[in-house]
Amino acid sequence: MRILVVEDEADLLRSIAQALREEGYAVDTAANGEDGLFNAESNDYDAIVLDVMMPKMDGWEMLARLRKTKKTPVLMLTARDQSRDRVRGLDTGADDYVVKPFDLPELFARLRALIRRSAGQTRNVIEIGEVSIDVAARQVARAGESVSLTAREYALLEYLALHRGELVTRTALYEHLFDENDSTMSNLLDVHVSNLRKKLGAEFVSTRRGHGYCIE
Amino acid sequence: MKDASPFSFLNSIRWRLQIWYGLILVAVLAGFGFTAFQLERGRVFRRVDDELQRRAGALASTLHPHRNRGPQGPPGQRPFDGPPEEQPLPEGPPPERGENPSPDQLARGSREFHLPPPQAALFDETDTNGFYYVIWRRDGHELARSTNAPASVSFSAPPHPDQPAGEGPHPQPPQTRGAFREITLITPPGETVLAGRSIARELNDLHRTALLLSSVGAGILLLGLAGGWWLASRAIRPIEDISGAAVKIAAGDLSQRIDTAETESELGRLAAVLNSTFARLETAFAQQQQFTSDAAHELRTPLSVMLTQAQTALNRERSAAEYRDALESCQRAAQRMRRLIESLLELARLDAGQQPMKHLRFDLAQSARDCVTLISPLAEERHVRIFCDPPKLDCVGDSERLAQVITNLLTNAIAYNKENGEVRVSGEAGNGSVLLTVSDTGVGISGENLPHVFDRFYRADAARTSGNAGLGLAISKAIVEAHGGEISVSSQPGSGTVFTIRLPTEA
Repeated sequence: MRILVVEDEADLLRSIAQALREEGYAVDTAANGEDGLFNAESNDYDAIVLDVMMPKMDGWEMLARLRKTKKTPVLMLTARDQSRDRVRGLDTGADDYVVKPFDLPELFARLRALIRRSAGQTRNVIEIGEVSIDVAARQVARAGESVSLTAREYALLEYLALHRGELVTRTALYEHLFDENDSTMSNLLDVHVSNLRKKLGAEFVSTRRGHGYCIE
Repeated sequence: MKDASPFSFLNSIRWRLQIWYGLILVAVLAGFGFTAFQLERGRVFRRVDDELQRRAGALASTLHPHRNRGPQGPPGQRPFDGPPEEQPLPEGPPPERGENPSPDQLARGSREFHLPPPQAALFDETDTNGFYYVIWRRDGHELARSTNAPASVSFSAPPHPDQPAGEGPHPQPPQTRGAFREITLITPPGETVLAGRSIARELNDLHRTALLLSSVGAGILLLGLAGGWWLASRAIRPIEDISGAAVKIAAGDLSQRIDTAETESELGRLAAVLNSTFARLETAFAQQQQFTSDAAHELRTPLSVMLTQAQTALNRERSAAEYRDALESCQRAAQRMRRLIESLLELARLDAGQQPMKHLRFDLAQSARDCVTLISPLAEERHVRIFCDPPKLDCVGDSERLAQVITNLLTNAIAYNKENGEVRVSGEAGNGSVLLTVSDTGVGISGENLPHVFDRFYRADAARTSGNAGLGLAISKAIVEAHGGEISVSSQPGSGTVFTIRLPTEA
């Protein structure tokens, strides 16, 4: 999953980005509303963490403009906690609203919920055949036994599982699994897919030659 | 709770007004009624007395006719001249009886005494309530008595038995005896002539008059009291409105205002003054709440940094370098919070007047020069040149605090300046005050922002730029105003800004 964090407070931005990356997300950053909007419109993010009080363009405005073209889930992050601010945020198009200072685990859980919801999933556990994926705990089990996956492998699995039944193009995978700081090397993707097949079963991930991958 | 004594209602203005008003009204009505009654009574009695006088005089003249005809009678004592002109001369046959006894005969104790017809007509002896007479000789021997004279009439010795001869009869003051009014004349020889009448009817009438006056008076009193009560209520109502609104305001609802229909009366003006006071209170409270909320707000962000940094760092095992980074982030955030809290406390103390300003003479220009020296590294860093050439500016105040103000202005001037811009510090000494100006060639402040630059937490852009919480100018303003001075700003967007401080030269 690829997340965009828009926050003008440098220390905080760095902190959130690092924490998310350690969670296994690909993270892009922006320090003001203008850059944030540009990024959000140019790329397909799985979720956006958006601060409200920013120079050049504040969070309200960025969100309003974004919503004209994109349905990306947005979690607003702000020090303004009044009910009317929350109402405004949610009505402008945010999907969730978190007040600073926030508890990091809570932020993660809300992001997971956002992503899950936008994929149409209601539970935190996805079961495909004998494979069960606990999205909250980031753990995978096959026939009851725990399977160890690298962060990238897990990210790939999670993405394909959440878009189960859909054909996911390689391009989409590049977009959603790697952030702007990663160098895109196409072999990497194939390696991860083949590793998944090794660990979870050869038929687990189907390939549509020339188009992409899919989990049935 | 005060004890509800039975007299606690006396604390009410309305009641006190009512009682005083009632007392005055009672006094006035009583006085008026009493006077009216007395006048009427006097009039009634005078009329009766006149009649009695006439009759007594007539009697006396029949006793001593030759004495009574003469100019010696003191003027005004008309009864001695016979029946008054107003009385119609009795008609009738000439007296049947013989002449009245002569004085000598009287002296001899004759019981024969007949009134000639004219005089007899004055006494209707058939009327028990009519005029009657009794005549005694000097020694108390009864000479004559009208048949309708009450049995209770008795002789009383005249007070001055020795009358000088030659003078007319001496009237005694009229007496009221029970239900009778009597007048007594003492003739020179010493006979007592008494004429009287039952005044029962008059007394009855007077009694009725008294009752009438009393009841009318009582009616007026009640009306007056009722009217007074109504008036007092009307006058008091605005006070109750005011009191009601004040109670609500004291309970916390600062949006209440006194609603009175009157605007011009004394109470109306009081209500207007109170309303404007309440409005100021409400504004002050709202500003206070806003300030507190903004303050809490500002602290949230650095706190957020610390929390996220700490939680992330503790998520997993990290290298020493990573821990150091995280801790340094935390430290920066904590310092920022510390500075913010210091500023907030200073503002709070300045607001509460708890920050006593020193009152020492010093040269503001020298302070300015010192501040410029201290800030020169920052200026160099930003390639900004500072020119400082104020004249001697003697003033009174707290040099440390004012240096804080100057530094704040200089910092802003440098921060918002263009590359290779200029900052000018100059001043002017006037009579009673000194001026210090700090001008820059910076980006300027837009017209819509200009009135708000001194507001707390106000920043030209709505974000946090490099830890500036927006309190510097607010604090500067508070300090300058605590000295009895003024701070003002003018700006041309794009070309620059000028801040001016005016301070009094005397405390």
